Amino acid sequence: MKPVKIAMMGMTHGHTRKYYQTLIENQKLDWVASCAADEAAKEVYELYKTGVPCYLDPEKMLSEHPDIEAIVLASANEKHFEEMKFCAERGIHILSMKIPTFDMAEYDKMIEMVEKADIVCQIELEMHYNPVVKRLQQEIASGKLGKLLAVQATNITLSPVWAFPWQGSPEASYGKRVPLAPGDKRFRGGALCDHPHIFDLIRWLTGSDFDTVFAQVAPNLRRELEVEDMLMAAGKLKDGTAFLFDPSWSRLEERLKVPAPGWEVFPKRMEVNLTITGEKGMIQCDCFGPNVYHNGAPNDRYTVQYTYFDEWVGLIDEFVDCIRNHKQPKINLRWHKRTIECMNACYESIQSGKTARV
Amino acid sequence: MCEKMNRSLAFLRDKYGCPAGEIVPGNEGFELALPDGSRIPLLPWRVERRFVELKKIIDGKTLEDVSTFRFASFTAGGDSVKSAARELELASFLAGSPVKQLFSVRSGDAACNILARLANGMSASVECGVKLPAGADPMDRHEIIARRGVASDRTVDTQVPQSSIYEWTGSGLQTFTDVDTELFGLPNDQIWIVRAAFAVLMKPELAAEWTKAAASMKRYADAVVRSDSENQPVQL
Repeated sequence: MKPVKIAMMGMTHGHTRKYYQTLIENQKLDWVASCAADEAAKEVYELYKTGVPCYLDPEKMLSEHPDIEAIVLASANEKHFEEMKFCAERGIHILSMKIPTFDMAEYDKMIEMVEKADIVCQIELEMHYNPVVKRLQQEIASGKLGKLLAVQATNITLSPVWAFPWQGSPEASYGKRVPLAPGDKRFRGGALCDHPHIFDLIRWLTGSDFDTVFAQVAPNLRRELEVEDMLMAAGKLKDGTAFLFDPSWSRLEERLKVPAPGWEVFPKRMEVNLTITGEKGMIQCDCFGPNVYHNGAPNDRYTVQYTYFDEWVGLIDEFVDCIRNHKQPKINLRWHKRTIECMNACYESIQSGKTARV
Repeated sequence: MCEKMNRSLAFLRDKYGCPAGEIVPGNEGFELALPDGSRIPLLPWRVERRFVELKKIIDGKTLEDVSTFRFASFTAGGDSVKSAARELELASFLAGSPVKQLFSVRSGDAACNILARLANGMSASVECGVKLPAGADPMDRHEIIARRGVASDRTVDTQVPQSSIYEWTGSGLQTFTDVDTELFGLPNDQIWIVRAAFAVLMKPELAAEWTKAAASMKRYADAVVRSDSENQPVQL
């Protein structure tokens, strides 16, 4: 199979660096160029010494590398629409970060552009390629638990805002400045926008869809932020399954400009745990554990050293397969739309103080 | 078992474009048979991810000035001397230094305890036993103690390995720990054998290194038996 000529664009997303090893090692890819959003992003990119040239102008990148077939959009949420348009107009396949946009009119235009251009647009929801999630899905599908009754899930992390400031900007993260609730000085665009995974997983694991949701914010742990960092959501799926989600930035961090060892203050900086109750049994699941542990340099704090973390391998494999064999990715724009709608419903519920229908 | 592992190896070889080789049973464990007729002993623990991470923690100076390795390995059946030799080889791999001296006490073939000194001055203790009931999962622990920091594959305040998934049904408790998406479905011990074979194919210089390490491991096993029978430390 001819390797896919691939590029990256933006280089400001928290997941940017996670692609480097996979793009270099996967024989099915030829990583030819990158294009940073600005000088600062280019400087950080160059710290990783990938050997892949980095541009500041997408047109310039394409003129130097006219054979680019696909682009990873590793950028702030507010940039996604224009970047998708840029790709669609040129017939370039897209791997988008986890939030294409929260603006549903814009979202529908994205679907239209992608379908008209007949290109692959895969959304990066890497949990689908996690071996623990694969086992979880298999166990649930086996029927051992019977009909599912309830799901509780955490998707809790440190806050990436100090390294990726756009994640603390209501406009860059949510797309516009919308107050969280009357009398609340904060705006949409914080932890919720960073954590779509559990909203997506429950649909995948149950085969059902959201019905209603109620969400509430808590006082922020980081007073300086103008977006939410602590919240919870509870609701029901159409099949009656009750859920409770914690998508907070509840793990504190050192305020590093570039992620590096010692970033975490709490030992485990990222957790996706699920508790699933069925009519015939129950599962508890830690998607990122067990690991190895230390209390060494740089801060002598007890720290989880993530040990099994290769989701990007499977994600890229699927992307290449879809491009070469003209397939629809599992997480495509149409599938993902309901997840984004539920996240928007959480914000509506926070604003109204009432349950929101999804 | 070999057929299934070789199918997985073929998948990786095809995906990453690496040369031919086949996993075959050997006298002391699995080996990689190469087209030129040579056979390379496989050391799966050297590619097992928890040990790769522990080595990174040492080599990357997250721990500074390692003093002592405290290792334990308990299984349902097997050979306690071979288990001990493997644990010593792992310590030597993590330390980047061979075992220079060891003292062992054995209780027949069921259990053995070892104190070892590595050539770079680091110390190691190894506890091994084979008396877990049939069907029980292996229990092990690897702790590395340094002037700056302690690292371990077991989390603080626990005695037994943790799992990723705990499932309670009418049939009781079942646990799962899946570690490799590309080789999903293979048991974990077989995953590391396939990964070891793949590592040698991708990095041919490992062949000589692992052959030498396997010979050292054999010497460690002989020394464990001799030290116990003489009730004296043995120099290597």
